[in-house]
Order: sequence, then C-alpha cells, then structure tokens
Amino acid sequence: MTPLLLSALAVVLCGPVPWLLSRSPRLRRAPRAAMVLWQAVALAAVLAALGAGLSLVTGSALGAQRSGHWYGVAVLALVLTATVLGRLLLRGHQVGTRIRAARRRHRQLLDLLGAEDAGMLVVASPEPVAYCVPGLPRSRVVVTEGARASLGGEELAAVLAHERAHLRARHDLVLEAFTVLHEAFPRLVSSAAALAEVRLLVEVLADRAARRRTGPRPLVRALVALAEGVAPEAALGVGGETGRSGVGGQLGGGALLARIELIRDPGRHRLLAAAQLATAVALVVLPTVFVAWPWLASLS
Amino acid sequence: MGELERAVMDRLWSADADRWFTVREVHEALAADRDIAYTTVMTVMDRLAKKALVSQQRDGRAYRYRATASRGELTAELMRETLDEFSVGDRRTALVAFVGEASDEERAALREALAAFGEG
Repeated sequence: MTPLLLSALAVVLCGPVPWLLSRSPRLRRAPRAAMVLWQAVALAAVLAALGAGLSLVTGSALGAQRSGHWYGVAVLALVLTATVLGRLLLRGHQVGTRIRAARRRHRQLLDLLGAEDAGMLVVASPEPVAYCVPGLPRSRVVVTEGARASLGGEELAAVLAHERAHLRARHDLVLEAFTVLHEAFPRLVSSAAALAEVRLLVEVLADRAARRRTGPRPLVRALVALAEGVAPEAALGVGGETGRSGVGGQLGGGALLARIELIRDPGRHRLLAAAQLATAVALVVLPTVFVAWPWLASLS
Repeated sequence: MGELERAVMDRLWSADADRWFTVREVHEALAADRDIAYTTVMTVMDRLAKKALVSQQRDGRAYRYRATASRGELTAELMRETLDEFSVGDRRTALVAFVGEASDEERAALREALAAFGEG
C-alpha cells in the first residue's frame, strides 16, 4: 500500500495544500516560518512522488505479495516517479541556464556602465529603479541616478538594506527552485500560487531587514518614491486594471498592498511561527517514514 | 579582465563616435597609466568584438575598432532589458525590482501608511 499512500500524499501536497496555504494571508505575519513551510511542502511533495517509485522497489525486494492490484499500483507509482524526476531535471537545467545567461549578460553591461559608489553600482539612467544581481564572486546592488535623486539618505539606506537582505539570504535560489517547479508542472498542481507566494515572502523578508535597519518610515517613503516613478506607458501597455498580473512588476496584483500591511505590523507572532515550523518538519518526515517503514518493519 | 574591458570602452567612448582606433592607439592610451602588454589589449578588443560591444573593420593588415553603441545608447538598452525583466510575469526570475509599478489602490495604501506613521 505504501506506493499508493505516497502517490496520494504527493497529489495532496501538490494541489489542495498549496492552494489552501496561498489563501491564508495570516501565515505571512511570520514570514520566515512561512517560507520554511512553503519549502517543506515543495520538498515533501517531490519526496512523496519520488518515494512512490522507490517504495515499490523496497516492497518487491522485501517480497511483498503481488495481487492483481499490485501491478496497477506499481505502474501508477513508477509513472509518477519517472515523470516528476524527468521533468524536474529537464526544467531545472533549462531554467538555470536561462537565468544564468541573462544575469551574465546583464553583469557584463553593468560592469562597463555602472559607477561604483559606497557598495552600489550607479547607472546613469533617469528611470527610478533599484534591484540586485546575484553573482559570483561578487553580487551587485544597482541603483539608477533617477532612483538616487528621488531618495534621501535614510530611504537609500532602506533600499540597500532590502537588496542586501535578498543577496545575503540567497533569495534568488529559492525563487529559482520554485520557478523550476512551476515550469515543470505549470498546470494541475498549484505551482503558480506557490511561486507567487514565495515571491511575496522574499520581499516581506527583505522589507523586515530594511525595517530593522532604518525603521518603517524611510522604507515606506522609499517604496512611495520608487513606485510612483516607473514609466506609465509600460503599465498602460498591459491594459490598466484588467492587466494587473503584469502591472505589479514581478508580483501580481495586491502584492504591494500585502507588503505595506506587513511593514505596518510590528508583531513577532511566535506562536504562529512555531506552528508553521512544526508543520514543516512533520511534512518532510512523513514521506521519509513511509519509504523507510517497510525496511524498519522487516528488521524487527 | 572586466576592468580592462571597461578601460578600453572608456577610451573608445571618449572619442567621436565615427573615429576608428587601431589596437596600437588604444594600447598607447592605456599604457599611459598602467603596465600593460600590447597583446593583452589585442585580446581584450577581440573579446569585446565577440560580444558585439565593438565593431571591427579591416584596414590593410590591421584591424580598426570603434564602439558599436555609445555609452548612452548602451545604458538605455540595459535599462530597457531590466524593465522587461521586471514586467514580464512569471517566466523570468533573473532580476527582481525593489518595487514594481504600483496601481492607484497601492499608491493610496502607501500614502495611508505614511500618514499612519505621522506624516503626509
């Protein structure tokens, strides 16, 4: 029965669980724990799917009985495992290659055009934009002259603290992993919701770092300064309110609202964090135990 | 090497856009404030040509070079690509903006947050 259980677990972790989580904005109030929980759900889903095939091998190695059902379950579990493994490897390679190529080209131009100043690269452009480019051996925080002109000293410090938090915590790797999941399984599973939520969470975490550094006021002022400034034609191009998914930058409609609300929330929410972390541990342990159980049982 | 590429491009950009340079001319300019071999400059310029950052023109036995685009044009291209990365939905994650474009509702919420912190 183990392959069937694991397959069912994988299905539940792929669909209903992320769907429910993404509809529980309360969880974001403990963003670090929420981030761990999302990663645990993704990891557990992949483990369960891979474990379904693996447990089949352990099952037959331990001489489980083979009824008519057995072959049906076996085929199901093997197809699931092979599909998940194959797609993840393929998309992981494609996404990784694409992202690295884009960043490499971007870094080359930046290093020709940017002026190093107090730990950031300043680009001579009027567009008020700030972002970071992860890379080895050196990551870069980029601020345009337009952005620098519209930010005071405290606001600039908030922006830099935000971007450096992204780089320090390697948020790019988390986003890459969830992008791979989404591209490997764009339909049927709730991978789009997962990616959107993780994108929001990395911003919330970086906002927290900035808030610790400068307090909430300069951070919100910086958000105001840079959100007002982006060229309006880009927004109009995707069609006002109906095109919201494209308008909110990387984040879909409402993500900035969620960020603002959380910047205003000073609470620590320890209980919520503890509950999310405990759930995360349980989720990863569950498929592992399912796979290991037949071995453990055969030993005793 | 990135630093040398930058020095070469700075030299090309500091001249008129239609001025073509030989490697020797660029080498002379760079050698004024650093110890650098002629062949190194040649390698750097060859690589810049491969990246299409400089154009190459055959002139007798030697090549002449000039910047393919001005500094301003290249900066505009860089920012255009950057804004594309920010605005194209879920396909890309190479770059993430501090804040993307905001809707009216989001701007109102920002102003409200500022007001809550005691300023307008």
